[in-house]
Amino acid sequence: MRRALPDLLWTLLLAAAVALAPTVLKALFAQASVSYLSLASNAISLAILALSWDLLARTGQLSLAHAAFYGAGAYTAAILAKASGLPLAMGLPLAALTAALLALGLGSVTLRLRGIYFAIATLAFTEVLKAVVQELPTGLAGGAAGLNVPPLFRPHFVPGVMQRWEIAFQRNEAYFYVYGGLLVLAIAASIVTQRTRLRAAFTAVRTNEEVAAVMGVRPARAKLLAFVLSSALVGMLGALEAMRLGSVIPDGTFAISTTVFALVTPIFGGLYTTLGPILGAGVLSAVEETLKRTFAEGYLIGYGIVLVASILFMPRGIVGLFARLTRRRAAPPTSDVEEGG
Amino acid sequence: MMLRVDALEKRFGGLAAVQDLSFEVEEGEAFAIIGPNGAGKTTTLNMISGLLAPTAGRIELAGRDITEATSAERCHAGLGRAFQVVQPFPEMTVEENVMVGALYGKRGTPYAEARRRAEDALERSGLSALRSVPAEELTLLQEKRLEIARALATDPRVLLLDEVMAGLRPAEARLAVDLVREVRDRGVTVVFIEHVMPVVRDLADRVLVMDYGRPLASGSYQQVTADPRVVEAYLGRDDEEGER
Amino acid sequence: MDLTLLAQGLVSGVLAAGLYALVSVGLALAIGVIGVINFAHGEFFMIGAFLAYQLYVSFGFDPLLSLIFVAPALFVIGAVIYQTTIRYVLKAPELNQMLLTFGLSIVLQNLALVIWGGDPRSISDVPYRSVGYQIGGVSIGLVPLGSFLISLVLVLALYAVLARSKVGRAMRAVAQNRIGASLVGLEVNRIYLVAFALSALLAGIGGVMIAVIQSPTPTVGFAFTLKAFAIVVLAGLGNIRGILWASLAVAVSESLVATLVPNGDALRNAVFFAIIFIVLVVRARRTA
Repeated sequence: MRRALPDLLWTLLLAAAVALAPTVLKALFAQASVSYLSLASNAISLAILALSWDLLARTGQLSLAHAAFYGAGAYTAAILAKASGLPLAMGLPLAALTAALLALGLGSVTLRLRGIYFAIATLAFTEVLKAVVQELPTGLAGGAAGLNVPPLFRPHFVPGVMQRWEIAFQRNEAYFYVYGGLLVLAIAASIVTQRTRLRAAFTAVRTNEEVAAVMGVRPARAKLLAFVLSSALVGMLGALEAMRLGSVIPDGTFAISTTVFALVTPIFGGLYTTLGPILGAGVLSAVEETLKRTFAEGYLIGYGIVLVASILFMPRGIVGLFARLTRRRAAPPTSDVEEGG
Repeated sequence: MMLRVDALEKRFGGLAAVQDLSFEVEEGEAFAIIGPNGAGKTTTLNMISGLLAPTAGRIELAGRDITEATSAERCHAGLGRAFQVVQPFPEMTVEENVMVGALYGKRGTPYAEARRRAEDALERSGLSALRSVPAEELTLLQEKRLEIARALATDPRVLLLDEVMAGLRPAEARLAVDLVREVRDRGVTVVFIEHVMPVVRDLADRVLVMDYGRPLASGSYQQVTADPRVVEAYLGRDDEEGER
Repeated sequence: MDLTLLAQGLVSGVLAAGLYALVSVGLALAIGVIGVINFAHGEFFMIGAFLAYQLYVSFGFDPLLSLIFVAPALFVIGAVIYQTTIRYVLKAPELNQMLLTFGLSIVLQNLALVIWGGDPRSISDVPYRSVGYQIGGVSIGLVPLGSFLISLVLVLALYAVLARSKVGRAMRAVAQNRIGASLVGLEVNRIYLVAFALSALLAGIGGVMIAVIQSPTPTVGFAFTLKAFAIVVLAGLGNIRGILWASLAVAVSESLVATLVPNGDALRNAVFFAIIFIVLVVRARRTA
């Protein structure tokens, strides 16, 4: 744990930067900052998605069930809001709990599955879960039409003192902070598994599970731990997004695109690192936004081309590219930043 | 008595790869298992490490029944293993590889103690200078040393070695033998499979000969090599199939 | 239980299995022979559908006729995609292949979206589209029957090609031992190219048929990709023969639930994947 301190310090600095960002943006851009904040939240959301997927991938479990836990978290928040008197904010920890329990279940039965078999099993799980949620009593979960989710924040409008756009700004700002907080959590989880003895266990299990076991690592424990951590994070993200969006609906909330983004981003940025998923999220969000503004229709074609080109020229992601360019120094034994997967 | 194998059997369908195998290894012994290719030696080792489940029989480590235990549990109980086909974790450095064994070889090892054990293992295997080299960049002899170092870091009472000398040049083999001898001298019981006879002669306290999955003869190196059945087993057959 | 309903469910299921098998067998070729996890496979299916649609709309081509053009077109498209992109990730980690093919999938889907728009397109005015037969209360549409037969023929033809022809043997050799195959003189890259193009062709033919049966949108490909993967995995990697059985199993179950269970149609996907999940998990337990 001692080795994790320097990185945790950086994380705190990042947290400080996140805390200051809205104020700075508002000062610089006034009304335009409303949409910038929203974009920033999107990028952070993608980063959380990426970090949580990468966490699981470190044990060699290539999950296509990310959307399932995202959806489970979202629906937990939605059902909570509808069926209980608890404050909406409770939706976040409860979403984490639901997702974690689901992950424990799925992880346990899929322990013996590897590679593409594991991936397809998790994919199948997602589809079945989506159908189950859809078939739940409409009074509880809204069926195929979904549920509305009340917003987490109701901005406070003070006429005369505030301008109209500041209502939206307040709202976006509040969400931005919560997203930022979740990001810090995700980064912390990523760092802890990178800097403590867990790294040895996860990498060993990923590389060769049987040999790892002969060395005394308990693969089941490592894999389940990763699964639970990863799912709790993405479950909370799902709940948060449901609150921001205002609704959940089976087809959208459990959409496979969530999983695809979760998978694509860390590979693009650099697998099995903390910086990789974050960089990947930042760059891909920026790319997508730029393409959208330049091309309107069909901008996704360019996005796809970027992905294809990236893997051909940067097979180890952005982080791997830097590692290759800044030739490998004699790293201290505990350093691992250059590992690009 | 450190390791005991009792009526061990492994069948694959109708084929018995190992049967009627029983032997005991005393603490601190260097126990060699030899035999022609396909005799079931590695299968036996795999059963002892928990990679393969026996179809019948018992395995005891220091008096404790480990027949049903997982590989990790066996490691925690004191069983270490170096593989015939070296299995390093290629993306990790030499040091990180050894740390896996040091951290997880025994339950609840504090980080500082794991570092010490890893240092010791690196030192004893002569790998200290190579600690930051990624495992995939090592030469064969270095990889074999890493196998042993990593197993040593788990603080074993019994070390299983599978054909460590295979592929090594004579000078390298001598170094490897010295390493194994030193390990044994420190009190670790060593059970090793070997094809290179001079190594067996120099290292083994006792030898077990296997053939067609069964025990054929056991005793000292001199006794066993003088046994006509053993001679026939080695010379009277075409050795082509590599044993897995 | 209403026996006719049961029979209908069975028959519809069997007929649907043909298309599943056709698309899956192409994917199995890509995974088994070339070793590439191709998440863009369903897009070949989609392209086939839209090409057929376009030929119908622009030239009035009957879908059966358009097969003559679509098949080679898809072969070429598959070959081009292989040469320009797939070839370079053959030795890369699986995740890289997934990223590449996801990217390709996004490109192709959105290209189609831009060209044809997002509305469902179907080849609806073909004279035989609504022809059907009634056998003892069970109705069998001519088009589903036709597509089943065509798919069956193609899959069996592929089996025969793999088993007996020179090209097929070469593919099997390469699938089993790449280095060994190249040592005996087989041009591995060319075989990969042919195998990939072939997989695209097979999927494309399936697409032509779906254009008549349903009203495909540009996103129909991805749904088929996922199902094809599930079937390939169900049959077991490397088990191309098992794909027919796996397709039958899931297609029939899907159809039975849709026919017999109230509101069953909405559960089709769930049934499909529930079977996959259960089989995978149970099978893993047995190989302890």
